[in-house]
Amino acid sequence: MIAATELRLVLVTPETTLLDERVRSLRFPMFDGQMGVLPGRAPLVGRLGIGELKVATSAGGSDRYFIDGGFVQIKGSVVTLLTDRAIPVDEIDAAQAKSDLAAALAEVPTSEEGINAKERAVERARRMSGLR
Amino acid sequence: MASARVLVKRRKSIRNIRKITRTMELIATARFKKAMDRASEAAAYTRKINEIVADLAAADLKFSHPLLQQPPEEQNVAILVLTSNRGLCGGYNGGILRPALRRVRQFESEGKNVSLEVSGKRGLSFMKFEGIPIDRSYTQFEDKPAFDEVNELASRYVADFIAGRIQRLDVAYQEFLGSSKQAPTVQTLLPIGDLAGSGGADETSNGAAIDYEFLPSAEEILEELVPAAFKARFFKTFLDAAVGEQIARMVAMKSATENADEMIRDISMEYNRARQTQITSELAEIIGGAAALE
Repeated sequence: MIAATELRLVLVTPETTLLDERVRSLRFPMFDGQMGVLPGRAPLVGRLGIGELKVATSAGGSDRYFIDGGFVQIKGSVVTLLTDRAIPVDEIDAAQAKSDLAAALAEVPTSEEGINAKERAVERARRMSGLR
Repeated sequence: MASARVLVKRRKSIRNIRKITRTMELIATARFKKAMDRASEAAAYTRKINEIVADLAAADLKFSHPLLQQPPEEQNVAILVLTSNRGLCGGYNGGILRPALRRVRQFESEGKNVSLEVSGKRGLSFMKFEGIPIDRSYTQFEDKPAFDEVNELASRYVADFIAGRIQRLDVAYQEFLGSSKQAPTVQTLLPIGDLAGSGGADETSNGAAIDYEFLPSAEEILEELVPAAFKARFFKTFLDAAVGEQIARMVAMKSATENADEMIRDISMEYNRARQTQITSELAEIIGGAAALE
Protein backbone atom coordinates (compact mmCIF):
# COMPACT_ATOMS: atom_id res chain seq x y z
CA MET A 1 0.00 0.00 0.00
CA ILE A 2 1.23 3.41 -0.91
CA ALA A 3 1.62 5.76 2.01
CA ALA A 4 -1.00 8.47 2.07
CA THR A 5 0.32 11.86 1.12
CA GLU A 6 -2.83 13.89 1.06
CA LEU A 7 -4.29 15.77 3.95
CA ARG A 8 -7.20 18.15 3.78
CA LEU A 9 -8.22 20.48 6.57
CA VAL A 10 -11.79 21.69 6.98
CA LEU A 11 -12.29 24.26 9.70
CA VAL A 12 -15.95 24.83 10.48
CA THR A 13 -17.57 27.28 12.88
CA PRO A 14 -21.33 27.58 13.43
CA GLU A 15 -21.37 30.63 11.21
CA THR A 16 -19.22 29.57 8.30
CA THR A 17 -16.67 27.21 6.83
CA LEU A 18 -13.49 29.10 7.48
CA LEU A 19 -10.98 26.87 5.76
CA ASP A 20 -11.16 24.04 3.30
CA GLU A 21 -7.77 23.37 1.79
CA ARG A 22 -5.00 20.87 1.33
CA VAL A 23 -2.31 21.04 3.95
CA ARG A 24 0.92 19.25 4.74
CA SER A 25 0.40 18.93 8.44
CA LEU A 26 -1.38 20.58 11.31
CA ARG A 27 -1.20 20.90 15.04
CA PHE A 28 -4.08 21.70 17.33
CA PRO A 29 -4.94 21.60 21.03
CA MET A 30 -6.83 18.58 22.32
CA PHE A 31 -8.61 18.54 25.67
CA ASP A 32 -5.43 17.26 27.31
CA GLY A 33 -2.63 18.68 25.19
CA GLN A 34 -1.31 19.30 21.72
CA MET A 35 -1.86 16.92 18.87
CA GLY A 36 -0.16 16.81 15.52
CA VAL A 37 -1.57 15.26 12.39
CA LEU A 38 0.35 14.12 9.32
CA PRO A 39 -1.07 12.41 6.23
CA GLY A 40 -2.21 8.86 6.86
CA ARG A 41 -3.51 9.39 10.38
CA ALA A 42 -5.90 6.74 11.68
CA PRO A 43 -9.57 7.72 12.02
CA LEU A 44 -10.31 9.69 15.14
CA VAL A 45 -13.08 11.56 16.88
CA GLY A 46 -11.98 13.76 19.72
CA ARG A 47 -12.60 16.77 21.84
CA LEU A 48 -10.66 19.95 21.22
CA GLY A 49 -9.20 22.23 23.82
CA ILE A 50 -8.54 25.93 23.76
CA GLY A 51 -5.45 27.23 22.05
CA GLU A 52 -3.53 27.52 18.85
CA LEU A 53 -4.18 25.74 15.59
CA LYS A 54 -1.04 25.71 13.46
CA VAL A 55 -1.32 24.70 9.84
CA ALA A 56 1.56 24.00 7.48
CA THR A 57 0.01 24.83 4.13
CA SER A 58 0.92 22.97 0.97
CA ALA A 59 2.41 26.21 -0.40
CA GLY A 60 5.05 26.04 2.32
CA GLY A 61 3.75 28.77 4.58
CA SER A 62 1.98 28.41 7.87
CA ASP A 63 -1.29 29.73 9.25
CA ARG A 64 -2.13 30.23 12.86
CA TYR A 65 -5.57 30.40 14.41
CA PHE A 66 -6.96 30.62 17.88
CA ILE A 67 -9.64 28.00 18.43
CA ASP A 68 -12.05 27.73 21.31
CA GLY A 69 -13.01 24.14 22.02
CA GLY A 70 -15.12 21.88 19.87
CA PHE A 71 -14.54 18.58 18.12
CA VAL A 72 -12.20 17.00 15.65
CA GLN A 73 -13.04 14.26 13.24
CA ILE A 74 -10.40 12.55 11.15
CA LYS A 75 -11.76 10.37 8.42
CA GLY A 76 -9.62 9.21 5.55
CA SER A 77 -7.54 12.17 4.44
CA VAL A 78 -9.94 14.78 5.75
CA VAL A 79 -9.48 16.47 9.10
CA THR A 80 -12.56 18.36 10.22
CA LEU A 81 -12.33 20.77 13.11
CA LEU A 82 -15.61 21.97 14.56
CA THR A 83 -15.19 24.90 16.87
CA ASP A 84 -17.33 27.65 18.32
CA ARG A 85 -14.82 30.31 17.47
CA ALA A 86 -11.76 30.48 15.25
CA ILE A 87 -9.79 33.68 14.94
CA PRO A 88 -6.64 34.17 12.86
CA VAL A 89 -3.84 34.99 15.29
CA ASP A 90 -3.17 38.35 13.61
CA GLU A 91 -6.72 39.44 14.34
CA ILE A 92 -6.62 38.77 18.06
CA ASP A 93 -7.17 41.89 20.07
CA ALA A 94 -4.45 41.64 22.72
CA ALA A 95 -5.80 44.48 24.81
CA GLN A 96 -9.26 42.96 24.78
CA ALA A 97 -7.85 39.58 25.80
CA LYS A 98 -5.96 41.22 28.68
CA SER A 99 -9.03 43.01 29.96
CA ASP A 100 -11.04 39.78 29.59
CA LEU A 101 -8.45 38.01 31.70
CA ALA A 102 -8.58 40.69 34.35
CA ALA A 103 -12.38 40.53 34.37
CA ALA A 104 -12.34 36.73 34.63
CA LEU A 105 -9.82 36.82 37.47
CA ALA A 106 -11.81 39.43 39.35
CA GLU A 107 -14.92 37.30 39.34
CA VAL A 108 -15.87 35.66 42.62
CA PRO A 109 -17.92 32.56 41.85
CA THR A 110 -20.23 31.18 44.51
CA SER A 111 -21.24 27.88 42.95
CA GLU A 112 -19.69 24.84 41.31
CA GLU A 113 -20.80 25.99 37.86
CA GLY A 114 -19.46 29.44 38.53
CA ILE A 115 -16.04 28.07 39.41
CA ASN A 116 -15.94 26.01 36.22
CA ALA A 117 -17.06 28.96 34.15
CA LYS A 118 -14.40 31.13 35.72
CA GLU A 119 -11.68 28.58 35.10
CA ARG A 120 -12.68 28.31 31.47
CA ALA A 121 -12.83 32.07 31.02
CA VAL A 122 -9.42 32.49 32.63
CA GLU A 123 -7.87 29.79 30.49
CA ARG A 124 -9.39 31.17 27.32
CA ALA A 125 -8.17 34.68 28.03
CA ARG A 126 -4.67 33.45 29.00
CA ARG A 127 -4.27 31.35 25.90
CA MET A 128 -5.55 34.13 23.73
CA SER A 129 -3.24 36.77 25.10
CA GLY A 130 -0.40 34.22 25.09
CA LEU A 131 -0.69 33.84 21.33
CA ARG A 132 -0.38 37.47 20.61
CA MET B 1 -65.95 62.77 -11.22
CA ALA B 2 -62.89 64.10 -9.46
CA SER B 3 -61.19 67.02 -11.02
CA ALA B 4 -58.08 66.46 -13.07
CA ARG B 5 -55.95 68.39 -10.62
CA VAL B 6 -56.81 66.14 -7.68
CA LEU B 7 -56.06 63.08 -9.76
CA VAL B 8 -52.65 64.41 -10.75
CA LYS B 9 -51.83 64.96 -7.11
CA ARG B 10 -52.89 61.47 -6.14
CA ARG B 11 -50.97 59.92 -8.97
CA LYS B 12 -47.87 61.78 -7.91
CA SER B 13 -48.10 60.57 -4.31
CA ILE B 14 -48.63 56.99 -5.47
CA ARG B 15 -45.57 57.27 -7.68
CA ASN B 16 -43.57 58.37 -4.66
CA ILE B 17 -44.82 55.46 -2.59
CA ARG B 18 -44.01 53.14 -5.43
CA LYS B 19 -40.44 54.40 -5.43
CA ILE B 20 -40.16 53.59 -1.73
CA THR B 21 -41.65 50.11 -1.97
CA ARG B 22 -39.55 49.32 -5.00
CA THR B 23 -36.37 50.36 -3.18
CA MET B 24 -37.35 48.34 -0.13
CA GLU B 25 -37.92 45.36 -2.34
CA LEU B 26 -34.45 45.68 -3.79
CA ILE B 27 -32.87 46.08 -0.35
CA ALA B 28 -34.78 43.07 0.94
CA THR B 29 -33.59 41.05 -2.04
CA ALA B 30 -29.96 41.94 -1.34
CA ARG B 31 -30.34 41.20 2.38
CA PHE B 32 -32.12 37.96 1.62
CA LYS B 33 -29.20 36.78 -0.51
CA LYS B 34 -26.76 37.56 2.29
CA ALA B 35 -28.90 35.90 4.93
CA MET B 36 -29.35 32.92 2.68
CA ASP B 37 -25.59 32.58 2.19
CA ARG B 38 -25.08 32.69 5.94
CA ALA B 39 -27.73 30.06 6.49
CA SER B 40 -26.28 27.71 3.92
CA GLU B 41 -22.76 28.20 5.28
CA ALA B 42 -23.98 27.44 8.76
CA ALA B 43 -25.56 24.24 7.52
CA ALA B 44 -22.07 22.74 7.16
CA TYR B 45 -21.61 22.82 10.94
CA THR B 46 -24.92 21.10 11.64
CA ARG B 47 -24.16 18.49 9.01
CA LYS B 48 -20.79 17.71 10.57
CA ILE B 49 -22.25 17.51 14.07
CA ASN B 50 -24.81 15.03 12.77
CA GLU B 51 -22.02 13.08 11.16
CA ILE B 52 -20.15 12.78 14.43
CA VAL B 53 -23.37 11.80 16.17
CA ALA B 54 -23.77 9.04 13.60
CA ASP B 55 -20.15 8.00 14.19
CA LEU B 56 -20.82 7.75 17.89
CA ALA B 57 -24.02 5.84 17.29
CA ALA B 58 -22.08 3.36 15.17
CA ALA B 59 -19.77 2.79 18.14
CA ASP B 60 -22.61 1.10 20.03
CA LEU B 61 -22.93 3.92 22.47
CA LYS B 62 -26.09 4.33 24.41
CA PHE B 63 -27.17 7.94 24.22
CA SER B 64 -27.90 9.24 27.64
CA HIS B 65 -27.54 12.88 28.44
CA PRO B 66 -29.58 15.22 30.62
CA LEU B 67 -30.57 17.25 27.55
CA LEU B 68 -31.96 14.16 25.87
CA GLN B 69 -34.08 13.00 28.75
CA GLN B 70 -37.71 13.87 29.06
CA PRO B 71 -38.17 15.25 32.59
CA PRO B 72 -40.77 13.34 34.63
CA GLU B 73 -43.06 16.34 34.74
CA GLU B 74 -43.27 19.55 32.80
CA GLN B 75 -44.03 22.37 35.14
CA ASN B 76 -41.87 25.23 33.96
CA VAL B 77 -41.94 25.87 30.26
CA ALA B 78 -40.03 28.48 28.31
CA ILE B 79 -41.25 29.81 24.99
CA LEU B 80 -39.05 31.93 22.78
CA VAL B 81 -40.80 33.81 20.00
CA LEU B 82 -38.67 35.14 17.17
CA THR B 83 -40.20 38.09 15.39
CA SER B 84 -38.74 40.95 13.40
CA ASN B 85 -37.71 44.36 14.64
CA ARG B 86 -39.17 46.11 11.61
CA GLY B 87 -42.54 46.02 9.98
CA LEU B 88 -43.64 46.15 6.35
CA CYS B 89 -43.11 42.46 5.86
CA GLY B 90 -46.60 41.23 5.17
CA GLY B 91 -47.97 38.45 7.32
CA TYR B 92 -44.57 37.42 8.68
CA ASN B 93 -45.01 38.48 12.30
CA GLY B 94 -48.71 37.69 12.46
CA GLY B 95 -48.00 34.24 11.14
CA ILE B 96 -45.55 33.53 13.96
CA LEU B 97 -47.46 35.20 16.76
CA ARG B 98 -50.70 33.35 16.14
CA PRO B 99 -49.38 29.80 16.74
CA ALA B 100 -47.10 31.09 19.51
CA LEU B 101 -50.03 32.62 21.34
CA ARG B 102 -52.03 29.45 20.90
CA ARG B 103 -49.19 27.47 22.46
CA VAL B 104 -48.94 29.88 25.39
CA ARG B 105 -52.67 29.63 26.03
CA GLN B 106 -52.50 25.86 25.82
CA PHE B 107 -49.72 25.69 28.41
CA GLU B 108 -51.57 28.10 30.66
CA SER B 109 -54.74 26.05 30.48
CA GLU B 110 -52.68 23.02 31.47
CA GLY B 111 -51.58 24.93 34.54
CA LYS B 112 -47.91 25.25 33.67
CA ASN B 113 -45.64 28.15 34.50
CA VAL B 114 -44.86 29.76 31.20
CA SER B 115 -41.85 32.00 30.86
CA LEU B 116 -42.35 33.96 27.68
CA GLU B 117 -39.37 35.42 25.88
CA VAL B 118 -39.76 37.53 22.81
CA SER B 119 -37.18 38.72 20.33
CA GLY B 120 -38.09 41.58 18.00
CA LYS B 121 -39.95 44.82 18.52
CA ARG B 122 -42.98 43.66 16.57
CA GLY B 123 -43.58 40.72 18.86
CA LEU B 124 -42.99 42.88 21.93
CA SER B 125 -45.61 45.43 20.93
CA PHE B 126 -48.05 42.66 20.06
CA MET B 127 -47.67 41.05 23.49
CA LYS B 128 -48.04 44.45 25.12
CA PHE B 129 -51.25 45.02 23.21
CA GLU B 130 -52.55 41.61 24.22
CA GLY B 131 -51.61 42.32 27.81
CA ILE B 132 -49.39 39.27 28.15
CA PRO B 133 -46.42 39.73 30.49
CA ILE B 134 -43.02 39.10 28.91
CA ASP B 135 -40.22 37.66 31.01
CA ARG B 136 -37.33 38.56 28.78
CA SER B 137 -37.09 40.58 25.63
CA TYR B 138 -34.42 40.94 22.99
CA THR B 139 -34.13 43.48 20.22
CA GLN B 140 -30.50 43.02 19.26
CA PHE B 141 -31.08 40.30 16.65
CA GLU B 142 -31.31 41.85 13.21
CA ASP B 143 -30.82 40.22 9.85
CA LYS B 144 -27.32 39.00 10.76
CA PRO B 145 -27.51 37.16 14.06
CA ALA B 146 -24.00 36.43 15.38
CA PHE B 147 -23.28 33.06 16.91
CA ASP B 148 -21.69 34.56 20.01
CA GLU B 149 -24.86 36.51 20.80
CA VAL B 150 -27.14 33.56 20.20
CA ASN B 151 -24.77 31.32 22.14
CA GLU B 152 -25.33 33.36 25.30
CA LEU B 153 -29.02 32.56 25.17
CA ALA B 154 -28.38 28.94 24.30
CA SER B 155 -25.95 28.45 27.19
CA ARG B 156 -28.47 29.89 29.59
CA TYR B 157 -31.17 27.51 28.38
CA VAL B 158 -28.81 24.56 28.68
CA ALA B 159 -27.87 25.56 32.23
CA ASP B 160 -31.52 26.14 33.18
CA PHE B 161 -32.60 22.85 31.72
CA ILE B 162 -29.88 20.83 33.40
CA ALA B 163 -30.51 22.55 36.73
CA GLY B 164 -34.20 21.75 36.35
CA ARG B 165 -35.38 25.35 36.25
CA ILE B 166 -37.13 24.71 32.95
CA GLN B 167 -38.39 21.39 31.70
CA ARG B 168 -39.13 22.36 28.15
CA LEU B 169 -38.12 24.98 25.60
CA ASP B 170 -40.25 25.83 22.61
CA VAL B 171 -39.17 28.21 19.89
CA ALA B 172 -41.73 29.85 17.61
CA TYR B 173 -40.19 31.00 14.36
CA GLN B 174 -40.57 30.99 10.62
CA GLU B 175 -39.04 27.78 9.38
CA PHE B 176 -37.23 27.97 6.08
CA LEU B 177 -38.29 25.13 3.81
CA GLY B 178 -37.25 26.58 0.48
CA SER B 179 -36.86 30.02 -1.07
CA SER B 180 -40.55 30.08 -1.93
CA LYS B 181 -41.84 28.24 1.09
CA GLN B 182 -41.68 29.15 4.76
CA ALA B 183 -43.99 28.00 7.47
CA PRO B 184 -44.43 29.33 11.00
CA THR B 185 -43.62 26.56 13.44
CA VAL B 186 -43.42 26.07 17.15
CA GLN B 187 -40.59 23.64 17.69
CA THR B 188 -39.61 21.93 20.90
CA LEU B 189 -35.84 22.21 21.16
CA LEU B 190 -35.40 20.94 24.71
CA PRO B 191 -35.45 18.14 25.56
CA ILE B 192 -33.82 17.12 22.29
CA GLY B 193 -36.11 14.47 20.90
CA ASP B 194 -34.06 12.84 18.22
CA LEU B 195 -30.38 13.69 18.20
CA ALA B 196 -29.60 12.23 14.83
CA GLY B 197 -32.69 13.80 13.29
CA SER B 198 -33.10 16.80 11.01
CA GLY B 199 -31.47 15.04 8.10
CA GLY B 200 -27.86 14.59 7.10
CA ALA B 201 -27.09 11.70 9.42
CA ASP B 202 -28.20 8.88 7.15
CA GLU B 203 -25.75 9.65 4.38
CA THR B 204 -22.82 8.68 6.57
CA SER B 205 -24.29 5.40 7.69
CA ASN B 206 -23.83 3.73 4.33
CA GLY B 207 -20.72 1.73 3.65
CA ALA B 208 -18.59 0.04 6.21
CA ALA B 209 -18.37 1.70 9.59
CA ILE B 210 -15.01 3.28 10.22
CA ASP B 211 -13.25 2.15 13.33
CA TYR B 212 -12.65 5.42 15.11
CA GLU B 213 -10.33 6.15 17.90
CA PHE B 214 -12.20 8.20 20.49
CA LEU B 215 -10.36 10.77 22.55
CA PRO B 216 -10.99 10.91 25.47
CA SER B 217 -13.90 8.43 25.19
CA ALA B 218 -17.15 8.20 23.30
CA GLU B 219 -19.14 9.03 26.45
CA GLU B 220 -17.16 12.14 27.19
CA ILE B 221 -17.36 13.33 23.62
CA LEU B 222 -21.10 12.87 23.73
CA GLU B 223 -21.27 14.95 26.87
CA GLU B 224 -19.92 17.90 24.93
CA LEU B 225 -21.54 17.05 21.66
CA VAL B 226 -25.15 17.16 22.82
CA PRO B 227 -25.03 20.79 23.95
CA ALA B 228 -23.16 21.65 20.74
CA ALA B 229 -25.89 19.99 18.68
CA PHE B 230 -28.53 21.92 20.58
CA LYS B 231 -26.68 25.18 20.08
CA ALA B 232 -26.33 24.55 16.37
CA ARG B 233 -30.05 23.89 16.12
CA PHE B 234 -30.88 26.90 18.21
CA PHE B 235 -28.68 29.07 16.02
CA LYS B 236 -30.41 27.70 12.94
CA THR B 237 -33.78 28.97 14.16
CA PHE B 238 -32.33 32.48 14.28
CA LEU B 239 -30.84 32.17 10.81
CA ASP B 240 -34.09 30.80 9.43
CA ALA B 241 -35.98 33.64 11.03
CA ALA B 242 -33.62 36.18 9.46
CA VAL B 243 -34.02 34.63 6.03
CA GLY B 244 -37.78 34.35 6.43
CA GLU B 245 -38.12 37.99 7.38
CA GLN B 246 -36.30 39.16 4.28
CA ILE B 247 -38.30 36.88 2.01
CA ALA B 248 -41.55 38.06 3.55
CA ARG B 249 -40.53 41.68 3.11
CA MET B 250 -39.43 41.04 -0.45
CA VAL B 251 -42.76 39.46 -1.35
CA ALA B 252 -44.80 42.11 0.46
CA MET B 253 -42.93 44.96 -1.20
CA LYS B 254 -43.16 43.32 -4.58
CA SER B 255 -46.93 43.10 -4.39
CA ALA B 256 -47.09 46.64 -3.02
CA THR B 257 -45.11 47.86 -6.03
CA GLU B 258 -47.41 45.95 -8.36
CA ASN B 259 -50.46 47.40 -6.68
CA ALA B 260 -49.01 50.88 -7.01
CA ASP B 261 -48.43 50.25 -10.71
CA GLU B 262 -52.01 49.20 -11.13
CA MET B 263 -53.30 52.24 -9.27
CA ILE B 264 -51.16 54.55 -11.36
CA ARG B 265 -52.63 52.97 -14.48
CA ASP B 266 -56.19 53.33 -13.23
CA ILE B 267 -55.72 56.88 -12.09
CA SER B 268 -54.03 57.82 -15.35
CA MET B 269 -57.02 56.51 -17.23
CA GLU B 270 -59.41 58.37 -14.97
CA TYR B 271 -57.32 61.51 -15.30
CA ASN B 272 -57.38 61.33 -19.09
CA ARG B 273 -61.11 60.92 -19.04
CA ALA B 274 -61.52 63.84 -16.64
CA ARG B 275 -59.29 65.99 -18.81
CA GLN B 276 -61.27 65.03 -21.89
CA THR B 277 -64.54 65.90 -20.16
CA GLN B 278 -63.12 69.23 -19.11
CA ILE B 279 -62.02 70.04 -22.65
CA THR B 280 -65.35 68.98 -24.05
CA SER B 281 -67.27 71.06 -21.60
CA GLU B 282 -65.03 74.07 -22.26
CA LEU B 283 -65.57 73.67 -26.00
CA ALA B 284 -69.29 73.36 -25.47
CA GLU B 285 -69.22 76.54 -23.44
CA ILE B 286 -67.30 78.44 -26.14
CA ILE B 287 -69.58 77.16 -28.87
CA GLY B 288 -72.61 77.94 -26.72
CA GLY B 289 -71.28 81.45 -26.07
CA ALA B 290 -70.58 82.05 -29.76
CA ALA B 291 -74.03 80.80 -30.70
CA ALA B 292 -75.62 83.15 -28.17
CA LEU B 293 -73.84 86.18 -29.71
CA GLU B 294 -75.14 85.58 -33.18
